[in-house]
Amino acid sequence: MNKKILVVDDDQDILEPLSIILEDEGYVVSTTPKGEMTYTKVREFKPDLVLLDLLLSGSDGRKICKTLKEDKATKHLPIIMMSAHPGADADSRNCGADGFIAKPFELEDLLKILKKKLH
Amino acid sequence: MKLLNYLNPIAHLGEKKYSVLSPLLVMVLFCVSSEVFAYDIAKNPMIVGSYAIFIPVALIIYFAFREGIKGGLIAVVITILYYFYIMYTRHYKGAELDSGIETTIILALLDFLLAGIIGWLKQTIDQLIERESDERRRLEAIIQQLPVGVLITNKKGQLIHQNKQVEKILGRKFPANYTFGKDRTILNGTFNGKLVKPSESPLAYVITKGRAITEKEYTLEFDENRKKYVQVSASAIRNKQGKIIAAAQIIADITNQKEIEKQKDDFLSMASHELKTPITSMKMFIDLQSRQLQNIKSEKAKYFNNRIKDQANRLKELTNDLLDVSRIQTGKLRFNKEECNLTEIVKDTVEGLSGTTTTHTIQLKGASKYSILGDKYRIYQVLVNLITNAIKYSPNGKKINVEIRKIKQNVVVSIQDFGIGIRKEQQTRIFDRLYQVTDPNEKTFPGLGLGLYISKEIIEKHKGKIWVESEFGKQSTFFFSLPLVSKNK
Repeated sequence: MNKKILVVDDDQDILEPLSIILEDEGYVVSTTPKGEMTYTKVREFKPDLVLLDLLLSGSDGRKICKTLKEDKATKHLPIIMMSAHPGADADSRNCGADGFIAKPFELEDLLKILKKKLH
Repeated sequence: MKLLNYLNPIAHLGEKKYSVLSPLLVMVLFCVSSEVFAYDIAKNPMIVGSYAIFIPVALIIYFAFREGIKGGLIAVVITILYYFYIMYTRHYKGAELDSGIETTIILALLDFLLAGIIGWLKQTIDQLIERESDERRRLEAIIQQLPVGVLITNKKGQLIHQNKQVEKILGRKFPANYTFGKDRTILNGTFNGKLVKPSESPLAYVITKGRAITEKEYTLEFDENRKKYVQVSASAIRNKQGKIIAAAQIIADITNQKEIEKQKDDFLSMASHELKTPITSMKMFIDLQSRQLQNIKSEKAKYFNNRIKDQANRLKELTNDLLDVSRIQTGKLRFNKEECNLTEIVKDTVEGLSGTTTTHTIQLKGASKYSILGDKYRIYQVLVNLITNAIKYSPNGKKINVEIRKIKQNVVVSIQDFGIGIRKEQQTRIFDRLYQVTDPNEKTFPGLGLGLYISKEIIEKHKGKIWVESEFGKQSTFFFSLPLVSKNK
């Protein structure tokens, strides 16, 4: 069965190409530009991995990551954080994310990380 | 007390203590006058006027000190008049005279000599004291005009001087005789978030430890909403023998600077995000386009797309460089250091870059494992910069040699190209910000001239060194060395 990835980013211009590429790679993709929708999406879509932007306008990606990691039901769900902010790497580690990729990334690098975390 | 002051011959100088010279001179004069007195008494003990010898003696001292040589002359005149008076009384009383006018003249000359010496000494002392007080006034004026707060204490930490800026910065003056290290602190200051105890105040520290404090930053909390940032330097003042005699502290208000720094940081963070997000999106769309183009026959379209991709990557690199430079300048360039194998990083970089160049072959020498403590990404960044520079500046060269070897306790990586080379006078400047080398035909090369500056900063922050050896028009070799992780740790 194809692996499911949930992509959370407040920027539509990131969500659009990212979902096309990931679908192209054979993943089942669901996206949301709203951080607070992440929990509902996780419950309903049941992704195998979450690709989460670090600082989403409105809600804080770090908080979302922490909440998911503290919840027994979602603790094992791999979360990869992405950000264009300097110093975000350390932030992502602090909130328990399983991986981090800095924007702008090379497509191969992103796919490599996804593959590693999904197998 | 006032009388005592009046009697003090150097009271007019503002000096309360008697100088060492004063009692000494009094003693000399006393001996001389005693001699004269004894002679007179021996001649005729009944002459009361003889006792008056002490009057001119006292006057000599007094006037000489008060008025210098001029005073001495007055004293001499008085002495001569006195001797004429003695002679007159003796004559009047029919006493025998066996000392004549010659004795008086000799004595007057001696008096004059003495007065001269005293006057000269007095003037010298005067000048010295004046010079010192001039110095003090000059220093005082400078201290008051300084844009920073200045506090000076004695060796016990007791405040002896503070300028106006102290009040301006701290919002209040320190009370007179306030003792640093002992008295309750007059405001709450924190260092690294911790409240500073009176005994930990900079002045108390430099007096007890004898070591100086340079540009240490403290936060002053006036109330919950009002904070000030100050930079403090303090040091003990020692005498010739090296004993601490006082201590001084300088307080600079850096609140504005801090605010500007924060604004700059915020802007940097925002700009970084805002610039990188569209580049991320653009790169993904280019990748998507590439995939679409695989099914189309147009070679031109593929070529154009590749060019767009190159330019997007260049834009990405330039953005990163610009942000790195800003971070270096604000001291915000961070490193995630961990133990890593430098050879592997070099190998990966060489392999990665070999794929991007069609004009050059990159040869790697040295394969042993060298462990260093470093930020992988940043070291990789340095390598990419040096190798792409080697390619860029050797348009007619075909080969790039990359070598990795151990020298003493360091691992040295060298990147050699056979390109335009660097003139001797340019070699020291190429690591400067915005500096770019031009080729023999004064042709310029693309780029912002930031790469080597960033590389130098990265290497130095890893306790390493970066340098270049070059023959103009022939070849350039860039080296960087990093300390090896010692195995017996």
